[in-house]
Amino acid sequence: MKKTILLIALVAASGSMFAQKKTTTSGTVNFDATTTLDQLPKAENKTVIVAIDPAKGTLAFEVPIKSFTFGNPKIQEHFNGPNWLDSEKFPTSTFKGIITNISTIDFTKDGSYSADVEGDLTIHGVTKPVKTTGKITVKGKAVTANAEFSVKLADYGIDGPPVGAGKVSKEPKIIVAADLN
Amino acid sequence: MATAKKRMNPWFKRILYGIIIVALLGAGLVWYIFSEKFADTSETPADFTVNAMDLIHEFEKNDSLANKKYTEKIIVVNGTVSGIEPADTTVNIKMVDTASGSYVIFAFQPQHRDEAKTIKAGDNVSIKGSCSGGAYSNILETEYITFKRCALNK
Repeated sequence: MKKTILLIALVAASGSMFAQKKTTTSGTVNFDATTTLDQLPKAENKTVIVAIDPAKGTLAFEVPIKSFTFGNPKIQEHFNGPNWLDSEKFPTSTFKGIITNISTIDFTKDGSYSADVEGDLTIHGVTKPVKTTGKITVKGKAVTANAEFSVKLADYGIDGPPVGAGKVSKEPKIIVAADLN
Repeated sequence: MATAKKRMNPWFKRILYGIIIVALLGAGLVWYIFSEKFADTSETPADFTVNAMDLIHEFEKNDSLANKKYTEKIIVVNGTVSGIEPADTTVNIKMVDTASGSYVIFAFQPQHRDEAKTIKAGDNVSIKGSCSGGAYSNILETEYITFKRCALNK
């Protein structure tokens, strides 16, 4: 009897270990709003907080806007300014959602899994539902998440003169990568 | 038969030259502004030098005030490395206050990314970077401060 209880306890403990939340504070978001007229609006942010809860199937991330690094100081200033992301007023972008096919992803088994993600993306203080498909790679204890999608700036109330003049893409490409522990 | 050469009004000539000079200067200025790159942080003078834990505590106490003081300033942060985190093709350096879980994290400038890879947890280091400010994370329930364009301060 004692052995059975011990076995159940061990199985439960290992199960909860695998179901632990996976996080990183070094997620990467690449933002590409380049157009044929302007190759400058391109940035990366390497200090994004990302969390996946395998047990609940939730995915969340927080993006500090001022952490985006551009090559050119003036473009970075514009990006943070009131006509673009207005980072003084809206310092963080967030995503809260679920991986709808979480039951098909085995976080205990090496492999590459397709992840269907749905949730609410907040940029510039505006929240919109988004849906995309990403990839989760499991290798030993390491879990890597990747996704690529685009957002319509107008949906988030971003429509400054550079967007109208075609110098900034109306639908920038967002590439997310995270090594989770 | 000699053709009468019409002379340009001298004032019109001056105005035309003036417009051309202003247009050339404007174009030069725009070119300069948009082709400018961020300076190498290792060669940029620091606005502040702080201890990592003191910086974290200052943000925990009042992040609005701390953000006003430090954001977009070049800061030298001295402290003990708590961990190295993979960040796509490079690594970030992290210093954590073990009591609260609050942390400060450093993303390195492209030309200094190899330096970051030489750092190990437990090392006492001095890092110079541009402070992107701090905020409270609802995901981690801790305060966090991020730095960009960092370099080892030698």
